[in-house]
Amino acid sequence: MKNEKRISRRQFLATCGAAIGAPYLIGSGVLAEAGRPGANERLTTALIGAGGRGRGLLDEIRRSKIADFIQCVAVNDVDENRLADAAKWESRWAKRPVTPYRDYRYILERKDVDTVVIATPDHWHAVQTVHAAECRKHMYVEKPACCTIEEGKAMVAAVSANKVACQVGSQGRSQPEAYLSHRYLVNGNIGHIDKVWCFHYPSPVDNNPVPDSEPPPELDWDMWLGPLRWRPYNRRYLPGSFRWMMESGGGQIRDRGAHVMSCAMWWMGADGTGPVSVEATGTSPPRGVWDSAVTMNVTYTFKNPDWVMTWNQQEGNAPPAEERKPGEDRIERPGYGAVYHGTKGTFTHWGGDGGTWAERKAREWVPPAGAKDVYRSPGHWEDWYEGITTGKKTIMNIEAAVGVANLCVLGNLSFLLGRELSWDQTKREIVGDEQARRLVGRPQRHPYHL
Amino acid sequence: MPEEKLSGAVADLIAKIRDKDPKVRAEARDNAGNVGAPAVKPLSSVMTDENFEVAREAERALWKIVRHAGRPKADSERKAVVTELIPLLGDIQPVRVRREAMWMLSEIAGDEAVAPVAAQLSDKELREDARMVLERLPGQRSLAALQMALKTVPEEFKINIAQSLRARGVSVPGLPSQKLVPTRKTDVKPTE
Repeated sequence: MKNEKRISRRQFLATCGAAIGAPYLIGSGVLAEAGRPGANERLTTALIGAGGRGRGLLDEIRRSKIADFIQCVAVNDVDENRLADAAKWESRWAKRPVTPYRDYRYILERKDVDTVVIATPDHWHAVQTVHAAECRKHMYVEKPACCTIEEGKAMVAAVSANKVACQVGSQGRSQPEAYLSHRYLVNGNIGHIDKVWCFHYPSPVDNNPVPDSEPPPELDWDMWLGPLRWRPYNRRYLPGSFRWMMESGGGQIRDRGAHVMSCAMWWMGADGTGPVSVEATGTSPPRGVWDSAVTMNVTYTFKNPDWVMTWNQQEGNAPPAEERKPGEDRIERPGYGAVYHGTKGTFTHWGGDGGTWAERKAREWVPPAGAKDVYRSPGHWEDWYEGITTGKKTIMNIEAAVGVANLCVLGNLSFLLGRELSWDQTKREIVGDEQARRLVGRPQRHPYHL
Repeated sequence: MPEEKLSGAVADLIAKIRDKDPKVRAEARDNAGNVGAPAVKPLSSVMTDENFEVAREAERALWKIVRHAGRPKADSERKAVVTELIPLLGDIQPVRVRREAMWMLSEIAGDEAVAPVAAQLSDKELREDARMVLERLPGQRSLAALQMALKTVPEEFKINIAQSLRARGVSVPGLPSQKLVPTRKTDVKPTE
């Protein structure tokens, strides 16, 4: 089925592929010209998790260069009100009926669905990615990839075994200033880098705690929980605030850490590697149901080559945002990013997700003859599309994404246990700590399992 | 348990966990690890406090104890905590306490917890947690308990046990995985 739907590389390069080579020289009017596949050659997609983020992702596709190559034919949510809203909204853009589903597995059964966009809470990412891969769907899945080490292993195995393209939503790697940062750093402009200091503001505290209660009638609470062990509904769990629950979200380190540390691993050439030790300290919330660390300091020690990355989640620790000239992109998210320390100087970037802003010296650096170049993403969606159509690795492929998510997972695990962890990157195992070793996976509720 | 009969550190912990000030409660919770096994039963009694914030902090303090006791080279502390947790699985305990105690045992217990956890498989409200905890508990005894459960649990729950056995690497013919079988229908109508 996928091969029949696959758009040839020639077709792809003739359209958005042309833009990959020079994305800022070709306007959208030119891109809309001939050479695109007809409507009946479009890939189909389905949205799994139709909350604000999921709907935002489909809006992003419509604004991207692949807008004409992909169309939504189904939406899923476990909240009937959100599902109805999403179906109605997507139907405005669709040339085919958009079918609503409460159970995403109906979507995976459909032979006419080529791809899925997964934007559910984190605790669903791994199960749905594995299921989608096993049903031979290409997938875009929101970050962080996994909630446990074992989930990550299963995701990598499923995507690889089924030969599908997976793009994980750490969009920072695809941003124009991320490319400039990467190129600046790999050309030795700040010398040998031995420390990356990531900064972020704290996770919030639930200042309006409420008792557990019955779920609202429109919500399928059992299916929202999915693989998580059962607990009573509490309206402070969702929507959105799942982010502050350790089991379903994991706080800022898993939310923005999966962006900022994604940039670091990419720019340091460290994808596929991992630390030898992880040590976290921090503070827990003084009240409320949310249990993610409010403040947090995590040290990741890498060996061969030796370098250290730290995650610093504190109030007021961000370096001042760079002043930008009129006409330059304004830094919209100065509260997080990273400072790279090298033997010849430092380099700072702000943001790290869909907004990534590089310090001026990287933006103004003119590569001399013989300078190293690095991969320049055509855009996160476009890169995924190229992965689907050509089989190339996506920029935030599942192996890299799991590697970054594992950093977040290990940081939280060290915080929860209150001790340093030793990590064997080759085996993806915690060493010398039986309790921690048991927590690299978690049993999943029937039938929502990997 | 009357607080006046508790030892100094435990009494102090319980009093602070019941304090009106959330900051006092949180500080007590964060320092509960060192109080250890003697605080397990008293804290479990507070887990059903009518003030849900107090109840939650008692539960989290108990988790602090479990996480502290599970550290490497602290085997005697770990065993002492396990010994205190197992009685919390008794029928007289509230479901909430039994459920949390099982999950705590899943992190630090060995074979001694297998039979008490397996006994929870007969409780419809707790059997799914018990099944998952047995899946996590390492060793042959927990595996044997799951294999035995496949013969003894009600028919409709056998598929759940099969899931755990597969996770433990055991082939279970005749009970295929249901993970890709859709079951939940929506009432939302397609938009034309």
